[in-house]
Order: sequence, then structure tokens, then C-alpha cells
Amino acid sequence: MPPSTDLLQGTLDLLILQTLAPGPMHGWGVAQRIQQVSKEVLQIGQGSLYPALHRLEYKGWIQADWGSSENNRRAKYYALTATGRKQLETELESWERLSAAIALVLGRSAEATA
Amino acid sequence: MTREFFTHWRFLVRQTFSKRRRQSELDEELLFHVEQSIAAKIAAGMMATEARRQALIEFGGVERAREQCHEQRPGWWWGTVAQDARYALRGFRRNPTFTLTVIATLALGIGATTAVFSVVDRILFCSLPYAHDDRIVSLGLVQSLETQEFVLGGFFFDWRDNQRPFEAIASQGTMLHACDLVEANPAQLNCIHAQAGFLPLLGISPVLGRNFLPEEDQPNGPRVALISYGLWQDHFNRDPGILNRLIDVDGGPVRVIGVLPKGFELPTLQAPDVMLPLALNEGLERKALPGTPMRAFARLRPGVSIAQAKAEMEPLFLHTQEWIPQEIRRDFHLSIRSLRDRETQDVQLTAWILLGAVIALLLIACANVAGLMMARGETRERDLAVRSALGASRGRLIRQTLTESALLSLAGAAAGLMLAEGLLRVFLEIAPTGIPFLGRAGLDLRIASFTVLLSLVCGTIFGLLPALQTPRVVALVTRATQNRRRAALRRGLVVGQIAIGMVLLTGAALLLRSFENMERQNLGIETQGVLTARIAVPGFRYDTAQKKMNFYLQVETALRRLPGIRTVSFSDSVPPGGWNNDERIEGFAPEGRRPSPCSGSGCIVVVRRVTPDYFRALNIPIVRGRGFAEQDRSTSENLVVLSRLITTRLFPGENPVGKSIQKGQNGIWLKVVGVADNVKNHGLTEQDEPEVYYLRRNAAEDWGAPAPIMIIDAVLPTKTVAPWVRSQIAQIDPTVPVEMETLAQTVNKLADRPRFESALLGFFAVCGLLMAVIGLYGLISFMAAARTQEIGVRMALGATRQDILRLITGEGIRLIVLGGVLGLGAALAAAQFLKSLLYNVGAHDPYVYLAVALLLGVVAQTATLIPARRAAGVQPMEALRHE
Repeated sequence: MPPSTDLLQGTLDLLILQTLAPGPMHGWGVAQRIQQVSKEVLQIGQGSLYPALHRLEYKGWIQADWGSSENNRRAKYYALTATGRKQLETELESWERLSAAIALVLGRSAEATA
Repeated sequence: MTREFFTHWRFLVRQTFSKRRRQSELDEELLFHVEQSIAAKIAAGMMATEARRQALIEFGGVERAREQCHEQRPGWWWGTVAQDARYALRGFRRNPTFTLTVIATLALGIGATTAVFSVVDRILFCSLPYAHDDRIVSLGLVQSLETQEFVLGGFFFDWRDNQRPFEAIASQGTMLHACDLVEANPAQLNCIHAQAGFLPLLGISPVLGRNFLPEEDQPNGPRVALISYGLWQDHFNRDPGILNRLIDVDGGPVRVIGVLPKGFELPTLQAPDVMLPLALNEGLERKALPGTPMRAFARLRPGVSIAQAKAEMEPLFLHTQEWIPQEIRRDFHLSIRSLRDRETQDVQLTAWILLGAVIALLLIACANVAGLMMARGETRERDLAVRSALGASRGRLIRQTLTESALLSLAGAAAGLMLAEGLLRVFLEIAPTGIPFLGRAGLDLRIASFTVLLSLVCGTIFGLLPALQTPRVVALVTRATQNRRRAALRRGLVVGQIAIGMVLLTGAALLLRSFENMERQNLGIETQGVLTARIAVPGFRYDTAQKKMNFYLQVETALRRLPGIRTVSFSDSVPPGGWNNDERIEGFAPEGRRPSPCSGSGCIVVVRRVTPDYFRALNIPIVRGRGFAEQDRSTSENLVVLSRLITTRLFPGENPVGKSIQKGQNGIWLKVVGVADNVKNHGLTEQDEPEVYYLRRNAAEDWGAPAPIMIIDAVLPTKTVAPWVRSQIAQIDPTVPVEMETLAQTVNKLADRPRFESALLGFFAVCGLLMAVIGLYGLISFMAAARTQEIGVRMALGATRQDILRLITGEGIRLIVLGGVLGLGAALAAAQFLKSLLYNVGAHDPYVYLAVALLLGVVAQTATLIPARRAAGVQPMEALRHE
């Protein structure tokens, strides 16, 4: 993943946290959900996904447990921790601030892009 | 934060204990991903095999994913450090010569630099133990007899009241003087007088009690004293009730008002036991010319430089000059020096030279380590290429190399610090007295860390060079390839080492040559079997010159009865160095002539008051007339013996015997009875000075100050005679301390400084040469090994061993000549700084340079010959097969 700027990396973390907010999910599920929700715009390769999941786990924002999948395979499920939830809130907030700011700079109102 | 920390910690622990489990969990997770991907593709209607293929392509490199996940782990790289360290240690064990050479080189560089810096730091850089030490100056007049600034009561107060460049100005007495603490437990102490403003000027306040009050610094003020911490501790057992106690100093009661801080030293570098108020009568001093002599110190106003201060003081000085007698006025100058210069000026040059030498040594050591690390890096290029091909990232290779250099540097640093400690002890052991602060020198940790860092940098940068470049594919197939740029760099390093080594060697050789000249010179006196004794008679019991004379004459008579002693005589000083009573030559006017004015150097006359046997004891030949005779001792005439040198000045082309000299205007008449040969009388290295010997008669006036020194010419070994002398003196007065020394020891001590300088520089030079030669040897061996195949081809084509030998040594000779020529140029320039330390040898003495060049050439040539012979000895067939 060549352009691994802070913005992009932060965004991926935010996307993962947001995806896990409704409930635990395994890595494949996270990737699929992001793809679906973004209408196929955002495709997360495993090369970024798994390092990101592990990173979030080490930070203590998500926690992993082994469970069984829909087709009864053993799979690693990730769930938001309490800190992760708090982190999601702050990240959402700062994301909104940032996108509003960018919109201002680009000369469009926040409503127009939303 | 804490939470995060615990999470990290948990992972670190888990990582160490369940590495394998984690690995398989990650594999399972990734596998699940791929399976889900396949299932999704099949569900979308793809063929099973195609779905699998597509999924795997989409997934990309599994190994990379694994590593990336692994690298998310906090502190994951710790594991690789341990791995790298193990790998490095294995490498060192396989190549002990390399390892030991690097460690020894580093140790020498670090050790020598740290030790020398620890010594010179206090002399050159460290702040002095006074507040605003950078603004404190010594000021006063200087002249040819007294080159340290002094002031006189006659003008000091004028200066103090009218000066502008200083915030404060205060003075102390000219020197420490012996004083007696008279009580149940008597002691001889060192006392100093100082003005009330003296301690505040230095920013020193007593640890107990207070400083002198202005009214105590008055002629008839209360008698008070400050005592040193040492005296308080040793003599008064740190009694806090010491304040306000009356102690008896030299027979008078004084009140102790304070205790000086621990380790307090006067700006003249002396440690007094008791400090008393100077208590000058200002009104009287102003009128009395010249007035009381003192040492004055002052604190510059912020922002005022010494040059500015001197310019501002010039009018006051001109005013002062007016009352200096016309004839000698031109000899007096105004001098203002920083306190550091006042304290260390005469050793600053030595300190700089040592520092320069040791930095040169450090440079050689660094170049050597750099060369060795580069050589190692190059031989490992293939190894790096293989590891890179197997998937090691560049960062990983760099880290590995770094670990290796760090380990080597740390080992070198540890050895270096131990060596520094040892060297420092040796320095202190062999160092001459009179190098200020030396006694308190300790290992300086700042400089130790600096040198360790520097060597780390040397080793690391050059060790990294090969790892920084992407290993070339060619490195996989050939054994040792030559990288041209790096080879040039290594050659440059070796040339530099040889050049610096040449500079060091030249410096050491010049100093050695000068030292040899000094040792071999003719002193004009016989030192063998001559014993000198200083008997310090306590002033309060022997309070008149008559009492002193009686004591000394009694000692003389007693000693003359001893067997094994040829002569006993008294003088006030002994040649060739040390303290002399000096006078100026204008003071001696031959009869019928006016004294000729003298300016510049060569105006000083050494004056000694001696008993008749002096000339026999030191074996100084009388070349004209006669020496003093025993019966002369009861004469009332003032008889003198002149040295040959002063005879040519006062009586050019005449026979002075029987002539008279008037001492000063309307002074006493001296009658010349003979002329003695010249002796070395102004230190070992300076020009001889004219000398006048007065007869020490049996008259009280000849036995006052200064205390006489007894010269004993023994026939038996001095070791045997010394205890006899002691016991004879003890029989007359058991309480007087006697200091004895052979004249040979005294002379030897005078050569301490040059001996110290040449020994140290010699040591550094030998180390430098050794390291440069090791560097050269390493380079030539490496180049010869790299050219093995070429040598094989040449031999197959008919080259003889001689040709090969010439080929390899030619390379070495080019480096030696280049380094030698560069070094010669640098040495010629550097020798300028040594000039003032050299005795009877020019800074550009051709023999010294020739000898050094020859030594360097021969040693270096030997270092190239060994690998060259090895290269010439290979079998052509083997060399050809050699990869």
C-alpha cells in the first residue's frame, strides 16, 4: 500500500472501528462490509486489513476471540472494547471536523458534500 | 497510558512464551480469509479451481502479510536485537584477530584521550572555583625580576579609587608565610593576609561565621582570623564552638570569626591555614613609596574585555610610572591577565600539545577502526547479498550491522575506560610537580562518553557503508570484489593514518632529542655525592639573626667532625634552578665607572651568599685569583667572587681581581678576590646568567633572611651520611625539621617536566605508529587477497615471484610515500608549536626528520612485505581456481 499517509491509515482504523460498532465480526466480514457499504468504492486488501486489525488489537481498542463462522468454521472474531468505543467517538468527531474543514477549503458547504 | 503500557507488556510476555501458537493462529486467520474469498467466488458462479487461483492472486504474498502483522506488535524488534547480537558474537568468535584488533584500537583511542583530557580539562577549560571566574583578573606591574603581577601600597589605593573597568578590586599579601599556632598542641601553619574585600571579590563566603568587617581591616582594628576547613577539621575536631575563640598565632591572641570553605585555594593556587586581615594604614601607604607589596585581583564589569580594561588603566599606570626611578622605569609594565592565565599560563602550552597529540591518536584509532570495519563489510558483501535474496529487508540488514558495531564499540569502550583509569594513575605518578590541579584530576565522564560516542560513530558509519547499498547481484557469484570508491576511501584512510603518525613521531623525536641534550649538558657543577639540607628554624624561638647564625655554625662544626664528609658549606640557593636571589646588573658599578643602563633580557644577576667551601663542594673551578678562604670569614670587608660571564660584562678585557665594585649609588664597596667558572644557574634550558658570589661571613647580618641551605659534599654514599647528619642536628635542636635531598635529585626534578612531556608524547607516537602500521597491513593483505586470481593469471603468463612481490609492495610504497610526504608537511608546520619547549635542537632539525622518516619507512615497509610475500607464495594453479 504505497500512499500510507497518516490520513489514510487513520481513516482505515476509523472504518474498521465503525464497522465493528454493531457487533463482533471476523476479518473477512469487515472487509466485505466496508466494500458493500461503500458501494464497492473502498476495497480493503488483506495486506492492510490484518496489520490494521492487529494494530488495533495491540492498542486495546478491539479484542479478538475465536468463535465459529456462519459455515461452522473456526474464525477469529473482533469486537470493540470500551476504550475502542470511546476512541470511535473521538475519531468520528475529529473526522467530521476535518471533512467539514476540507469542504470549507474546497469552497463547498458541508451540507453539499454530506 | 497505563492501560496501554499493560497491554504492551502483556503482548511482550505472550510473544516470548507463545510465539509458535500465535504464528499458527495468524495462519489460520489468513487461511480463513482465503477460504471465504474462494467460497464467495464460487457462489458468484466461478469454477472451483479458477476461484482458488483468483483468490490467491487477490490475496497476494502471505509471508509479507504475516510479517506485517508481526511488526504491528509493540516491541517486536527486541527479538531481532537478541538474534543479531547472537549472530554478531558468533562472527567475532570466528574471527578473533579482527575482533581483538578493533577492541584494542578503540580502547587505546578512548583510554588515552579520556586520561589526557581529564588532566588538561582543569588547566584549559574547566571553570575555576570562584563566582564569575571568567571575569576575575590579576592586575599589577610586571618587570624582569617579577613576571607575576604585583601592586604596591603606594599606588594601589590610587588605582582602586580611580579605576573604572572593574566592579571590585582587592588584594592579598604577596605570599604565604610560616606562622606558629602557639598552644598546648602547637603547629606550624601557613598564614596569608588579605583585604576585607578579597573573599567577596572571589564570591567565597565562609562556611561558618563571617568574613572580615571593614573596621577589622584597619591598622589597629580588632585582631581576627579566618581558619581553613582543614585546620578546623584536623586541629579543632570540627568544634562548632570555634567561633569567637581566641587562638594564639605567632604569640598574639586573635579571635576566630569564621571557617573557610573546604578545599579553598587562593588565586595564587596556595591553600592557607589561617587568613588574617591585611590591615594596611591607607593614609601612610599612599605617602610611603613604594609601600607594601601585594597581589591584586579584580572583577571586570560585565561586557568589559581585558584589552579594554588595560586601555582604561593606562592613564593610572602612566601616573604610577612617574615615581619609578628614571633608570629602571622602562622595565615596568602594566599587566592584566585572566585568572586562568595567571594560574596556568606556563603549562598551557604543554596541555595543548598533549591534547593535540591525543586527538591525533584518536583520529588514527578511528581511521583504523573505520578501515577494519570496511574491510569486514566488504568480505561480507556476499553474505549480505544471500540474506537479501532470501528476503531480509534492507532495514534488517542495517540493523544487524549496527548491532555488530555497537557490540564492538561497547567492548572497546569498556576496555578503554579501564585503560584510562590506569593511564591516569601513571600520569599522576610520573607527572612533575607544579602542574596545577593535577592532584585532583579524576576520570572525566563527559569526555569519556564523548570519546565512546565518537568511536561508535567511526565504527558504525564505516561498518554501515556496505549494508547501505543494495547488495549487487555480482556479489552472489564472486568471492571478494573490489568496490573502487570504497577501496579509494580505505587507501585515503591509511594515507591519513601514516601522515598523522608521522606528525606524532616527529613531535616525540624532537622532544626526546631536546631532553637528551638537556640531560647531557655540562652544568658546570658536580652533583655526585652532594647532599643539600634545608633546616627550617622556627622564627619565634630563633628571633634574631645572631641566634640563627649561632645555630647554623654549631651545626657546621658538628658535621665537620663526621667521617665521610669532605666539606660543609652554606649558601642561600643552589644551581642549576629553583629559587635564586636575583639583582639587576645596573646595581653593580666597577670602580671609576658609572653603571651602564641595561634593558631587555640579560640584565639579571644571580646573587649567592656562600661560605668558602661552596666552590669545593660543587667543584666549581676558580679561573682567576682565589676563592674565599676560611680566615676571610672573620673579615669586615665585603669580598666577592665573580662568574666569568659577569666579568666580561663589568670588566671587559681586564683582570678584575683586586678591583672594587660599588653596590648601587653611594652603596657599599665590594672587593673582587677571584673569578669562578660559569655554572648553569637559570634552569636547565635557559641561558646562563651572570653571577656574583658574596662571602657569607661569621657576622649576624649575613645570616638573616633568606634561610640558608646547607651543602654537604660526602665521600661516603649519601644514603649513609644522611641519617648521621639528621642525628647531629637533632642533638643540637631536636625540634627543627630538616629537609634533605641529593643535588642529583634536585637536578632530576628540574627535568621532570620535559621528561613527562617526552615520555607521554613518545607513548602516543608509538601507539599511533603501531595503529597506522596495523591499518596498512590490513589494507595490503586485503588487496592482495582480492587479487589472488589476477596473480594466478600473471604467474601463468610468466611473471616471477619477484614481479608479484614488486606488484604488491609497490602499492604499499605508494601509500607510504604519499602519507609520509603529507605527514612531513604537517609535521614541519606542527613543530612550530613545540619551539619553546625545545632545547638545543631546532624545530626543523634535519636529523630528527630523517630519522623519523627512516623509522616510519622501515616499519611500514615491513608491514607491506608480509602480505606481499604471502601473495607471491601462492601456487598459480590454486590461484586460478580461486574464486
